[in-house]
Amino acid sequence: MTNNPEYFKAERDQEWRVALRSQIKNKERTSRERVKMPEQDPNIRNKNSLEVNLGLTEEQAVSEAQRCIDCPNPTCITGCPVGINIPKFIKYIEARDFLSAAKTLKETNSLPAVCGRVCPQEVQCEAQCFYTQKLKKPAVAIGHLERFAADFERNSGKISIPEIAERNNIKVAVIGSGPGGLAAAGDLVKMGYSVTVFEALHEIGGVLKYGIPEFRLPNDIVDVEINNLRKMGVEFITNFVVGKTSSFEDLKAKGYVAFFTASGAGLPRFMNIPGENYVGIFSSNEYLTRVNLMGAAKADYDTPVLFGKNVAVIGGGNTAMDSVRTAKRLGAERAMIVYRRSLDEMPARIEEIHHAQEEGIEFMNLNSPVEYFADESGRVNRMRLQKMELGEPDSSGRRRPVPLTSSEYDVDVDMVVVSVGVSPNPLIPSAVDGLNITKWGTIHVNPDNMQSNISDLFAGGDIVRGGATVILAMGDGRNAAAGIHAYIQQTLVN
Amino acid sequence: MNKIIDKVNFSENVVKLVIEAPDIAQKRKAGHFVIVKIGEKGERIPLTISQADPEKGTITLVIQKVGVTSHKVCNLNPGDLITDVVGPLGQATHIHNSGTILCAGGGVGIAPLLPIVEAMKKAGNRIVTVLAARNKELIILEDQIRAYSDEVIIMTDDGSHGNKGLVTHGMEEVIKREKVNEAIAIGPAIMMKFASLLTKKYNIPTVASLNTIMVDGTGMCGACRVTVGDKTKFVCVDGPEFDAHQVDFDELLLRLGAYKNEEKQAYEQYLETLN
Amino acid sequence: MIDLSTKYIGLHLKNPIIAASSGLTANIENIKKLESNGVAAIVLKSIFEEEILQQEKDLKNEVQKDSLIYSELSETLDYIDIHIKEDTLNVYLELIRKAKKETLIPIIASINCVTNYEWTDFAKKIESAGADALELNIFLNPVDTSDKDFEKTYIEITKNVTKKVSIPVSVKISQYHTKPAHVIQKLSETGATGIVLFNRFYTPDINLEKLELTQANHFSNENEYLNVLRWIALMSKKINCDLAASTGIHSAETIIKQILAGASAVQIASVLYSKGIDYVSVLLKELENWMEKHNYNYLNQIKGKLSQEKIQDPAAFERMQFMRYFSGIE
Repeated sequence: MTNNPEYFKAERDQEWRVALRSQIKNKERTSRERVKMPEQDPNIRNKNSLEVNLGLTEEQAVSEAQRCIDCPNPTCITGCPVGINIPKFIKYIEARDFLSAAKTLKETNSLPAVCGRVCPQEVQCEAQCFYTQKLKKPAVAIGHLERFAADFERNSGKISIPEIAERNNIKVAVIGSGPGGLAAAGDLVKMGYSVTVFEALHEIGGVLKYGIPEFRLPNDIVDVEINNLRKMGVEFITNFVVGKTSSFEDLKAKGYVAFFTASGAGLPRFMNIPGENYVGIFSSNEYLTRVNLMGAAKADYDTPVLFGKNVAVIGGGNTAMDSVRTAKRLGAERAMIVYRRSLDEMPARIEEIHHAQEEGIEFMNLNSPVEYFADESGRVNRMRLQKMELGEPDSSGRRRPVPLTSSEYDVDVDMVVVSVGVSPNPLIPSAVDGLNITKWGTIHVNPDNMQSNISDLFAGGDIVRGGATVILAMGDGRNAAAGIHAYIQQTLVN
Repeated sequence: MNKIIDKVNFSENVVKLVIEAPDIAQKRKAGHFVIVKIGEKGERIPLTISQADPEKGTITLVIQKVGVTSHKVCNLNPGDLITDVVGPLGQATHIHNSGTILCAGGGVGIAPLLPIVEAMKKAGNRIVTVLAARNKELIILEDQIRAYSDEVIIMTDDGSHGNKGLVTHGMEEVIKREKVNEAIAIGPAIMMKFASLLTKKYNIPTVASLNTIMVDGTGMCGACRVTVGDKTKFVCVDGPEFDAHQVDFDELLLRLGAYKNEEKQAYEQYLETLN
Repeated sequence: MIDLSTKYIGLHLKNPIIAASSGLTANIENIKKLESNGVAAIVLKSIFEEEILQQEKDLKNEVQKDSLIYSELSETLDYIDIHIKEDTLNVYLELIRKAKKETLIPIIASINCVTNYEWTDFAKKIESAGADALELNIFLNPVDTSDKDFEKTYIEITKNVTKKVSIPVSVKISQYHTKPAHVIQKLSETGATGIVLFNRFYTPDINLEKLELTQANHFSNENEYLNVLRWIALMSKKINCDLAASTGIHSAETIIKQILAGASAVQIASVLYSKGIDYVSVLLKELENWMEKHNYNYLNQIKGKLSQEKIQDPAAFERMQFMRYFSGIE
């Protein structure tokens, strides 16, 4: 309903938008520089857990919103996995109606404050922006504006609860309370369903809580968005592992007619090199969970974590950046990224790499560990690195790292965080007989509606993608919610 | 939140708790464990389920005070609430009929051994159980174990109950005496290591139930990884039971000690707050 | 009683017939069937470096087509090559473990490699999974027109692997060397305990009706053993390691010829495909019959009896040129 061009056109033709467009000439709009996000000083922030990005001021936000020329054909929306009406919310900011801007975001996105912080806008909406595409200039800072609107609403104390259709008392279960699950729950509850979210951990939020650190996404902000969902009527049950605590059959017997599984990535991958099980070598999942979810670095929490002086993080993705910057904040003198390709090839967001560099993270590119060594207590004390060079490009166009023979050398480390990806958690796939699984252990679904071969089971996020971003998981959640709605309408209501 | 229904002090440091957990009580099988957390700022620790009553909706856990969290659990009383209990987790014991099974339980390891002994007995096996601990006080659940064993041998370090000696002495006696088809060892890692070395010598297939450091208990963190054969396995999802002869117990012991300094310090501080 | 036993790369074999690495040695049912029909050892189907590289490529292609699986920002995708390698290797290690558990004969693992890195770790894991020996199937493409020194790569891979493992390592080579004798000699000095002559390449043919390239017969034919026979005879007494003959071994007679030339064992595959796994027992029976008929009790009695050094006219094996061949029969 909200995703078709006629709707966007009708919205754009509203009087206030027409009026706003005529206030400033496009030439003036496009001549402005893109706003710069205010940040904490690198040498202060690398010792605290406060947010790096401070958020735009009202004036900055309005000025940036004025850069947007409110294109007749807003290509930015096509870059958004959850289809936010981007020009509309930006124009509300320009009109200084910040609460309406936030409301617009929430039409299609149940976690705007989260997305405004962690989405890779530079490869999504901002990559499709008129500025990027046609003017070859920096895009409108859509992400910063999204964050601004969401933060403004939260701080105003006037949080709007989206409209909810009449309750139909049809029960739908969402498995996993990460971004995919929350997005699906938000949409389903809006459609009138009775939604229960089952979470295996003791906290709601999934990767938003255990994975993404405070300095990038404070837990309080996640909690506010979760509370909004609660107010909308979503029920959350923690400490509940579907497939273990209860089976799908049990839940069906309790009246659930459809399931959305967004149970996440699951098992961390390692590189299978000698010494990888020594004490002090963590998966990024473990390290981040201890610090973010379990409060291990805080004195009054029971969970322990090791503090390393020389910390190496293996990998080049966002999780690797989160881990290495966490280690730095927890007192590491040397916090190193060890990555086997060059800086240009890192999958992490450019902003995160840039922030890490500012904070004094060492980048050891074109290096890969081949072995770890330990002291007599089993604690890692050294790693052997092999130098790499980039070989021929593979089919995806990325150059393959090739080891240089006899290039090994040793580096002292007392902590290593391995961040080389995950394999799908077999828990759900093995709990459902006959479920179609890909060769990689992910659940096979129809990409249009996220439906698996078991008709009442839908899935999305990492369990389908093997490794996705927050926003892609949310997009899946929204697609699945629509898919579930259609499925229920077809099979049950008629 | 799960309510504590009943509590029995086996000894100063070992406590049995009966906890309300209807869903878990329904689903749990021998070998399963739960993750428990006390308080908002608590730590998540794995505890193997000793018994369950699906009708009453309760599970029984046996806990030994070894650190802050286990101490906190032991200090709870009937009527108190446990902040978080999640399970049943892990793979259930493979119950089958193989003939004579030698079951070895050390200390609080006797608690998770109990449901296995029961299930194996019901599957038609002859069960010879060796229970071992430092002293008489630490031999727990003896009567319940006897109810499902054809024979029980008690070993204590100080000879205060049964025979004086280690678990392996009791096991070897049985192995020399009769044909043992399979062995199961549950207890401290070091005890399982030696039990495993013994049965390896006699070529008796042996299962050990490993207790490692865990965080989430569902495969997400990898804290519980252990080398079995030459593969890395996750105790929480692949285990907790493994072919003992393939387990790298030395690595397991090192990994169990990962936080020993931090834990010791925290425990000392905690004990001070109690006084 | 005829004793067909032989020693090959330190392994005691009850007879000289080894099932060569092929599709037949890729699953446990066939392996057990091979054992029960009498083969003395099994070389498991190779774990292919190229196959892994290909899988990586395929997967990446798939990823690009399927918008759902793996985003560009995924750390899993970033390390997909390592994960694929790990998964493939784990499947292989499982096969080794199973084969060791369910059979009594020696199990020789095989890795088929084209580069000289990454394989030493594989070799170590293969060793600890319980393989009795390791065969390196070095598969450098002779079509490469660069002046890359193939021989050097052969030697380097062998050196690296033998340094890392303590199980015997044999090397299976192709016949495309400018100086095979030199390569064989060099490999034996590098630490290989056995050399298998030769592996076969994919052979193209042309379909004259459709005018397109096709694959020629997958399997060796009976005459292909001759080239192998020549090199076994030439080299068996010159080097310090064992030789196994492979390619074109379809009959008991051929086996005997190879043993006479100095091979310690033979590897068979094509004949198993064309005549079935149970044909091994026929070959063994015929071997015994021949031995009996010629009054030999032990296979060792005939081993190397007709190697180059042992025969009257050593030059016979060295005559390669057609000119001389033809002039001889004028």
